[in-house]
Amino acid sequence: MKARILSVLKKRPHGPVMTLSKLLLTTYILLAVAAPVIAPQNPYDPLQIYGWEASSPPGTTGSGGYLYLLGTDGLGRDIASTILYGLRISLVVSIISSAAAALIGLTAGVSAAWFGKWVDVAIMRLVDLQLSLPTILIALIAIVTLGPGVDRIILALIIAQWATYARIARSVALSEANKPYMDAARLMRLPTSRIIFRHLLPNSIAPALTLIPIEVGHAVALEATLSFLGLGVPIDKPSLGSAVANGFQYLLTGQYWISLFPGLALFGLIASINFVGEDVRRSLDPRSKSL
Amino acid sequence: MGMISVVTGRFLQAFLLLIAMSLIGFIGIHSVGNPVFNIVNIETATPEDIRRATVALGLDQPIWRQYLVFLDNVVSGNFGTSYIYHLPAFELVIAKLPATLELASVAMLIAAPFGTGLGLIAGRRRGTLLDRTVLRASVSALSIPSFWLAMMLILVGAILTGWFPSGGRGSTASFLGQDWSFLTANGLWHLVLPASALAIPNIALIARLSRSGTIEVENLDHTRFCRAKGLSPRRILLRHTLPNISVPIVTIIGLQFGGMLAFAVVVESIFSWPGVGKLLIDSIQLLDRPVVMATLTFIAVAFVALNALVDLFHAVLDPRVRLSSQR
Repeated sequence: MKARILSVLKKRPHGPVMTLSKLLLTTYILLAVAAPVIAPQNPYDPLQIYGWEASSPPGTTGSGGYLYLLGTDGLGRDIASTILYGLRISLVVSIISSAAAALIGLTAGVSAAWFGKWVDVAIMRLVDLQLSLPTILIALIAIVTLGPGVDRIILALIIAQWATYARIARSVALSEANKPYMDAARLMRLPTSRIIFRHLLPNSIAPALTLIPIEVGHAVALEATLSFLGLGVPIDKPSLGSAVANGFQYLLTGQYWISLFPGLALFGLIASINFVGEDVRRSLDPRSKSL
Repeated sequence: MGMISVVTGRFLQAFLLLIAMSLIGFIGIHSVGNPVFNIVNIETATPEDIRRATVALGLDQPIWRQYLVFLDNVVSGNFGTSYIYHLPAFELVIAKLPATLELASVAMLIAAPFGTGLGLIAGRRRGTLLDRTVLRASVSALSIPSFWLAMMLILVGAILTGWFPSGGRGSTASFLGQDWSFLTANGLWHLVLPASALAIPNIALIARLSRSGTIEVENLDHTRFCRAKGLSPRRILLRHTLPNISVPIVTIIGLQFGGMLAFAVVVESIFSWPGVGKLLIDSIQLLDRPVVMATLTFIAVAFVALNALVDLFHAVLDPRVRLSSQR
């Protein structure tokens, strides 16, 4: 496993698109980490926002003495800064929710495979139910139930995404459970929790892990959609999605920059995650190499 | 025998799915907020007013009782009366349905031939610049957040160029007792942007699927035989490859059509297209519980029914599906 991961990092030949995506994704992460240092304005601090400079077009120099590179939004917040801070929220929300969904889904899938019988039936029926409905619908129902807030949206994304991991982990664990080393573990009378967490889980984890990058991309898009519909992140601390939503009402009056630039940033983020994620999945999955 | 067990099994599954769905949806809607304050004025209402409103809405009953009443009503097609419009909730949904169906159908009519065609051509010329472009364009198209795509279509197609209207349904003509936009030139004009917004991700999805199908089929013996026989590449592509990849494509079309009903929520809100999706978002914001329930139930039923139909269709066309269900 480790050798394969290393081989992905080292020797895969890359086209210009892949190089660009990796570069872009790295830039995004660096920007998100460094946001408080490099952003000209803290968009959450009302004292740094000048209301009379609302909806300034890109390139205006503001009272704060710095250039509004991408203009300001309807409340006078610098769009470039809003994007940098929004990037943090979008990334943190989707990475946390994807990691938690992977953990929950893996545990559920492996448990279903190990215990079988009613545990298997109960977990897999729930998985089937979820996977037979569109993710956006599940997320909508979850967020309507839970109410608004950053913690709620993370929960809603976990609810929307755990089932994918559970299904894959179960099928892998089923084939692992019959291998000789598992028989050995059973014959040694190791405690069940030890068998599951130290033997079965680590060996069933690889195919599900390759899903994580793609699912992070989905999570970014889902979070953005929910926030856009006004059901996600609160508007005073906008994620990229709610930043786009903020600009929607100004679009019709021609102030395109309020929604254009956060949307471009969002698109670039999702696209680079998808390209890199697809590449990771393809190189770790030997079957798809032949295609 | 095999066919019957497939059908009954599929319908049982669909039925259980709907029960679970209605339960989750009901509980979900129940915890959103107190709808009593939508129909009484918070500032002037006395506790007596609030109590009477609560009783009138049936909200004083225990929650399981409300669910049973709700289920009973659903089975008899009665979702209750909208708190806002004072009309039967189900009627409201049905009244909005033609607009959504129209939008989704037009989008699919654009997406299916375009996507299949692109995929066939790309798969046929695998590895060429064209193929790589299609593949990359499809990953990019699937990465565009649907709401932002819709907004950019408005920006480019309506605001900058002024070619298309930015929202609404335009003028409609009556047919079969319903109003349809596609029957008038003005209505068609209004359809262009929202239908494109729904179609573009689906073109990408269908193109990817038909590309990989084409690559697979082009390497099979019967295609090689056709080539050896000297058939023209176009004839091989259209008469031999296309029928062989049609099953997964028809499947994804069926599934995506259901998905469009869900994604219409986003596109309809942006283009103020008066369909089921816009009704859902408006009702969530107005805490109009019966309408939210009726809409969610409707989307779920439509989606589950479409899925079941697609599966059955699959079983009719592909004997392997029948065989696997008998084990």
